[in-house]
Amino acid sequence: MKKYTFRGGTHLHEHKETAGSATERLPEPASVSIPLSQHIGAPAQPVVKPGDTVRMGQVIGAVEQGLGCPVHASVSGTVKAIVTRRNAVGTPIQNVVIANDGQRLWDESIRARETGLQEATTEEIVEVIRQAGISGLGGATFPTYAKIQSAVGKAEAVIVNCAECEPYLTANHRLLLERGEIVLSGMEVVMHALGVKTGILAVEDNKPDAIAHLQERLKKRESLGRDADIRVAVMKTKYPQGDERQLVYALTGREIPAGKLPADVGCMILNAETAAAVSRAFWRGLPLVSRIVTVAGDCVRQPKNVRVPLGASVQDLIAFCGGLTQTPKKMITGGPMMGYALWDPETPVVKSTSGILLFSEAYDRINTLHSPCIHCGRCVAHCPMHLMPNYLAQYAMARDYDRAQEMDVMSCVECGTCSYNCPAGVEIVQYIRVAKGAIRAKAAALKAARQA
Amino acid sequence: MNQTNPQAAPMPELLTVSPSPHARRGVTTTRLMIDVLIALAPATLWGVAAFGPRAALVLLLSVASAVLFELLAQKLLRRPVTVRDCSAAVTGLLLGLNLSPDVPLYIPVVGAAFAIVVVKQLFGGIGKNVMNPALAARVFLMLAWTSGMTQFSEPFAYLSSGSVDAVASATPLASLKVGVMPTESLADLFLGKTAGCIGEVSTLLLLVGGIYLLARRVIGWQIPVSFLGTVALLTFVFPQGGADRLSFMAASLCSGGLVLGAVFMATDYVTSPVTGAGRLIYGCGCGLLVVFIRYFGGYPEGVSFAILIMNALVWYLDMLTKPRVYGKSRGKRREQNGGGTRKNRRGDDRKEGGQGA
Repeated sequence: MKKYTFRGGTHLHEHKETAGSATERLPEPASVSIPLSQHIGAPAQPVVKPGDTVRMGQVIGAVEQGLGCPVHASVSGTVKAIVTRRNAVGTPIQNVVIANDGQRLWDESIRARETGLQEATTEEIVEVIRQAGISGLGGATFPTYAKIQSAVGKAEAVIVNCAECEPYLTANHRLLLERGEIVLSGMEVVMHALGVKTGILAVEDNKPDAIAHLQERLKKRESLGRDADIRVAVMKTKYPQGDERQLVYALTGREIPAGKLPADVGCMILNAETAAAVSRAFWRGLPLVSRIVTVAGDCVRQPKNVRVPLGASVQDLIAFCGGLTQTPKKMITGGPMMGYALWDPETPVVKSTSGILLFSEAYDRINTLHSPCIHCGRCVAHCPMHLMPNYLAQYAMARDYDRAQEMDVMSCVECGTCSYNCPAGVEIVQYIRVAKGAIRAKAAALKAARQA
Repeated sequence: MNQTNPQAAPMPELLTVSPSPHARRGVTTTRLMIDVLIALAPATLWGVAAFGPRAALVLLLSVASAVLFELLAQKLLRRPVTVRDCSAAVTGLLLGLNLSPDVPLYIPVVGAAFAIVVVKQLFGGIGKNVMNPALAARVFLMLAWTSGMTQFSEPFAYLSSGSVDAVASATPLASLKVGVMPTESLADLFLGKTAGCIGEVSTLLLLVGGIYLLARRVIGWQIPVSFLGTVALLTFVFPQGGADRLSFMAASLCSGGLVLGAVFMATDYVTSPVTGAGRLIYGCGCGLLVVFIRYFGGYPEGVSFAILIMNALVWYLDMLTKPRVYGKSRGKRREQNGGGTRKNRRGDDRKEGGQGA
């Protein structure tokens, strides 16, 4: 079988120990704290006040205009407070705190669809997805409706990203195995919205059971005789295969020009769980109020995949997974390569929380070796963007940001492959982030000066 | 919910927040240096077996003084002491392997001091040196103590002769220099039954070490292959001394420090390019210079000079062979709109021109 891949990248220690454990539902948490900004774009404004009774799926935060999506209650109960709390990257965000009554009562406005997919127009589908509050669940959290809108007339294929190339994470893998048909159905909805006949499910070859399961599903679907070309593409397991640039290149041989979107080269990319959310929103009218989170790491007693209502706290999740076996040093949201380190166990699970990883001091020791670059070239050989990260880091250290910019530092996607492979333990990506920040600040200052 | 497990470890008061990635491969500089030492072991053991306890003493002095000088220099310069990364030991061993077993015993000490203090630490320590420390020291010693550096005893002479004094012997390289095929058979040259520096004689065991480094992915194939390939090609096309092409080429490859240089010295990370293409050019350059110096230079051996000259070009080779960045066209660096393919940009320009017209 042909396996798709890209140039550069690296094979990581996978640690997909939770791949065999079926998704469990988190028992109803006592309360949830739902941030009103879980997406790229304008934060939602609260439309409920303390004391209000809310039901699951009821809108609690709305975006009047501009890019952004509404936020819904993930449990039924009473609004306790609206507080400001810092999110995983430290930005203060308004949170709606809801005391859970444990009844799981859905809002009455939620209705399953009565007509078929063929009757739906593009505008209608886009609006359903916007109302359902769906943003990219792979981690980038770009509002999905806007992504679809911008791809209308440009996309030639819809690609469902099931690569899940980060170590430890198996949430997408479990979703494909347990709810593969929903992922497929969400993909068809988006294909219909864009008038596209080609659909590709891109799965890394470390998930042979998921590949077989999807192919089985597709056979059944073909027996229904619908007229679209949907197939499973087997991707070589290599990080960062799940990055949309590498995914597009591997599947089509096209490169997304710097500063452009996948739609500009004819591709619409959806994360697997996003596709499932689209299907639920379209067919059953359900807004996005929960997601699957992989809880793993060497401090967790029973690593698991858990379906979690948005806003449930990380400590609820850890308690459900049997608690901690040893004192953690780091708590990561997302995968170990691109995830953020958290500092507060009360941090709520949000739309971008694909994993919660707890690592011990012993695990983290390999991250703390900081010695000078020895020019070995591993970062250059493995960079998926074909940059020279060693030089970028050196210019950043010397604060020669102009030279770093000449060497295309702005093309860096911060995937961390260079730092991962660095024998000297240089924090290459962090130096690059510093350079990018300085270059952006300079450009902003120039722009401001020009306008003044 | 929230049932507490009696054996559960507590969540600490403070968690560590640091930037991603939060995972590493776990291959460290120290591990790479140890791999190089392992790869050098067969040739080192052969050198000691062939040239006796004197060779062992030279190697020991060289390694020990390299490590000590590193420690001393870092203490004096108030830098963190990093002798545990084994890079000084590698430099010391390579220096010793590049010396004749018959050098005066101050030679390895002076050489190690020059390599570590002058070439490495004064330029900023590991990763900052411009030239390969062991090779720079060897060249320094050659120029300063020429006669001491060019006495070579026959292999296994220490077993038969009672005298410790060197049995002066012409190295195969010296024969090639005057246009005569070496007296040793090609098999002896390949196996290392010949006079020469401690670590350079056994081509076979050096290649074994090279294969280990390749298998462990410590080095890439580009530098050794292009270096040796260039020398092979040139000596095959332009043989000297009336010998047939093939045996002249084989003798050239197996003589002197060529294989030691191509596998272990030219591949030194700090002083070689980071790109595959850069490494190919660098290796070809080394090969070209070696043959040029061997054919026309004043010295019989050109490997040290060739590598040192190419060391100076590393930055330029890296920039020359900068890979084309994903999503960008080659050569378009300062783009105002931050991207787009060349085709797109041409299209944009045309549109703008059209509006102006």
